[in-house]
Amino acid sequence: MAGKPASEENRHLPNSLGIRGWVWAGRYTLERYLFTLHRLTGLGLLAYITLHLIANGTRLGGEDAWTNTMEFLSNPGFRVGEYLVVAAFIFHALNGGRLILQHLGFTLGKPKPPVYPYVDSMRRRRPITLAMLAVMAALLLYVLIEIVT
Amino acid sequence: MKETRLKILQYITGIGLFFFIGAHLFASYLSSGEPTSWESVSERAASSGWLTLYLFLLIFGLYHGLHGLRTIILELSIPNSAVKVLDWALLAIGVAIFGYAAYIVINAF
Repeated sequence: MAGKPASEENRHLPNSLGIRGWVWAGRYTLERYLFTLHRLTGLGLLAYITLHLIANGTRLGGEDAWTNTMEFLSNPGFRVGEYLVVAAFIFHALNGGRLILQHLGFTLGKPKPPVYPYVDSMRRRRPITLAMLAVMAALLLYVLIEIVT
Repeated sequence: MKETRLKILQYITGIGLFFFIGAHLFASYLSSGEPTSWESVSERAASSGWLTLYLFLLIFGLYHGLHGLRTIILELSIPNSAVKVLDWALLAIGVAIFGYAAYIVINAF
């Protein structure tokens, strides 16, 4: 049977859960929630980049316009927002690095025979996830201390 | 372009952004002086090295961000006919933002 070329076919099952599936569709593992957080931080960073470019655009108005914008952005609310942006960047970068290593097969390890009690590959890679979270916590603490002091 | 190539570009731009944003943050917040003062900003803007870094940051950031957004939207199972519209819309948005942002940094140079 002559079908459509692979590139034109819808090769996936429909995603009936939509955005709801980011939060809950049964027993999600820790990594599945990191996936959701990766998307949320990605969207947050995209929104920040847009605002960052708009703020940078005020330099076209000269020194006064720039100084006024920087004064407006120096209030405590924006400082907290700034910390959240750095936190989102740290998480997105570290988790992205973990995902790249995983997708390219560097952290998959050797295949193991299915001997009971079964341990899925995600749980075998859990130490990498926990190490990533530990590095992230240390960096977030460091940046928080830098911003506060 | 094939989806796998787009994905590989997503990885490459992600790794590049890690270093570019790292340099950007280091210069902006961890170096001495007031990084957002007009003098400091003008000094960086006049440097060809910083201009190059900002342009790369812009290209890598726009590709990574817009391709990531495309991935999220495609996961919502939109019809195939809408995928091309989405691709062209994201490309137009990317080119427009690049034009605006590149104008800012080149104008300040």
